Amino acid sequence: MNTTYTANAFSNFVKELGDVSTKLVKGAEVLTKFDDIDVGTAPKELVYEEDKLQLYHYTQEGPVTCTTPVLIVYALVNRQYMLDLQPDKSVVRNLLQHGHDLYIIDWGYPTKADMYTSLDDYINGYLHNCVNLVRKRSGKDKINLMGICQGGTFCAIYSALYPEKVKNLMTLVAPFDFSTNDGLLFNWSKNMNVDAMVDTYRIVPGDFLNAGYLMLMPFTLNLRKYVDMLDVIEDKHKLLNFLRMEKWIFDSPGQAGECLRQFLKDLYQENKLVKGELKVGDKTVNLKNITMPLLNIYAIADHLVPPSATKPLNDLVGSTDKALYEFKGGHIGVFVGTKSQKELAPAISKWLHERDGNGALSGRVEDKKPEESLENATRETPRPQSGGAGRKSKRR
Amino acid sequence: MENTRQFFDGWLQSQGRILEGIMDMTRKYQESFRFPGAAGGVMPPLGGFPDGYASWLSAIQKALLGTGAGDSDLVRETLSKTLSSSNAYQMLYEMWNPLFKAIQEKTFSPDSYMDMIDPKKYKEALDRVFGFDPEIVSQGAMQASKLFEALTGSAQEFMKPWVEASMKNVKTIPLLMEGKPNAYMQAYNNLFNAFDSTFGRVFHVPPVGKDREKVKMLLGSFDDLSVYLAKYTEYQHTMYVTGLAALEKVIASVTEKCNKGEDPKCFDEFFDLWVDVSEDTYYHLFQSAAFSKLQGELLEAALNVRGHNFKLMELYLYDYPIALRSEMDDLYKTVYDLKKRLKSLEGQPGEVAA
Repeated sequence: MNTTYTANAFSNFVKELGDVSTKLVKGAEVLTKFDDIDVGTAPKELVYEEDKLQLYHYTQEGPVTCTTPVLIVYALVNRQYMLDLQPDKSVVRNLLQHGHDLYIIDWGYPTKADMYTSLDDYINGYLHNCVNLVRKRSGKDKINLMGICQGGTFCAIYSALYPEKVKNLMTLVAPFDFSTNDGLLFNWSKNMNVDAMVDTYRIVPGDFLNAGYLMLMPFTLNLRKYVDMLDVIEDKHKLLNFLRMEKWIFDSPGQAGECLRQFLKDLYQENKLVKGELKVGDKTVNLKNITMPLLNIYAIADHLVPPSATKPLNDLVGSTDKALYEFKGGHIGVFVGTKSQKELAPAISKWLHERDGNGALSGRVEDKKPEESLENATRETPRPQSGGAGRKSKRR
Repeated sequence: MENTRQFFDGWLQSQGRILEGIMDMTRKYQESFRFPGAAGGVMPPLGGFPDGYASWLSAIQKALLGTGAGDSDLVRETLSKTLSSSNAYQMLYEMWNPLFKAIQEKTFSPDSYMDMIDPKKYKEALDRVFGFDPEIVSQGAMQASKLFEALTGSAQEFMKPWVEASMKNVKTIPLLMEGKPNAYMQAYNNLFNAFDSTFGRVFHVPPVGKDREKVKMLLGSFDDLSVYLAKYTEYQHTMYVTGLAALEKVIASVTEKCNKGEDPKCFDEFFDLWVDVSEDTYYHLFQSAAFSKLQGELLEAALNVRGHNFKLMELYLYDYPIALRSEMDDLYKTVYDLKKRLKSLEGQPGEVAA
């Protein structure tokens, strides 16, 4: 019998307490040295504004090797600077270095004055105007769309409604088939009284949504993360990166009520998109109208948007040139992980460059399956979502 | 040390030495964070480890978050989250220590662990994780209590369900004494049913008179509140029962490790095990259709209370020269429609001038 354990445990705890005290004092000193938590630092220029929306054009300091511009469309939930969270792990900077011409939409922070803003306004209004503006500025009839998470759903809907304006469609960790119960959000939303929520809040607060996200992994996200933070609190560089992620997680705009109402009811609860029954304004969305090349990226350990919600898109579109890319990580790892920088961003760039001509794929064998044009593209079935095992504190 | 008594004596002595050490260390820390209000600028003497920890936490919080270097929001926000987490970490330690001692002394059995833990501490730890706010429930209960007082005089005939509920609850006392969570839930349900079939009925009485609309809304808000409190209690109960199930799994896992001679070498190892097992146990709860339904019902009940409150506020504020919520909604709708019409007339807006 290990008879000294209890005494040692207490002794260790006392030692830990001492270490924690020291770290807290030193950490507080480090914390006071930060004037601000800088995020989204890649140089960019504001080119368009409409209500709360702002459209930015990133400054390309090198040669543009992919002539078709890319419009990045982020989700309404949280902020688009996730793609440029820290300078050394930035999808934006990575794509700029690969010669792309990038635009990004900042949806802004809705206030009560935006409570009636609908899905129709976001897609047939704001997104449509941004696409037209990028087309006009670039002199191209068609542009590339890159949609992230909910922004990916928006881009797929847009591409189905306006296929003549989209050259290539990329979707990253975006939900399309909402019938799945693999993700907790999908399970929980089935029993949510959406009308009561929207009618009560008008603008559903970001904090309300954050409470739901924190519940996905309550012990990790509310407790372990901050205990673990003490391990990096003395290292200014690591602490800054922790704080950047922390800032992003809790930088959550409220959600315009009418848009959220339709998104939750028509998609999460009634799965109308894959059924071909979704109406946006006066237009019905038919995913078969998506005939342009499609790159659909999912993360195998995504607990927010599980692969089962993402992968079905490829079977629903009319495209013949379509690829699935399996990212070995979680929802956020797609943007800030080391693999994201070393593998995913270069793969996206390669896929776009290959399709930057007049419709034909360059450097591609004619009878090669579209999926094979990506080194990492796969149609393998991912392992089931395990729930807790192996989840890390910084994932959302 | 093969002998249990020897082990226990040794453990007590080592604990005593450690306590002396921590007292000394705590005093030194406190000297670094002087309290202006205390005699001599130093904290008063401490009693025992938990007091020492609480004082340490308080000293750190006051020193870092109160004035001086810790004034910025960034420091305050970051450290408050960290301190809150470390507090839950310490609660878990206090709860865990006697359990491990029992495992070591081989006096532990899976059925007896409930006698050894302090459910209050575990509840506090879970409260911190889930962000439960007992204050809200207390406020609701106080409002209901005031209502009871107001109604008691005219509600003599309503006593029968309360007597029946009390009789049922007497039978649950042995289980309550054992700290069985389901017994608490049963007792609560008995009382709530008594409430619902007596005072609760008052909330549905059709009001009359000039202010009937206000009275109806007020009674409705009490009804919503009671529904919310009942649902909230059911929700919390589900959480705690799941937490206790997780704890059982943790204990089974630690016992197995101890038997294999692979016992955790430090508290952090136990903490990681607790987090992983709890996370998985809760994940299975969260994934269930029953939880999704319960959560949906809780949300709806909370929204009903909130919505009712807004309507009441409008009624009370109607005579004041301020824009009401519904009036602002109309205004927003008008602005929205006008903007949309303007956009359709203007066409594609132009670029921002460089």
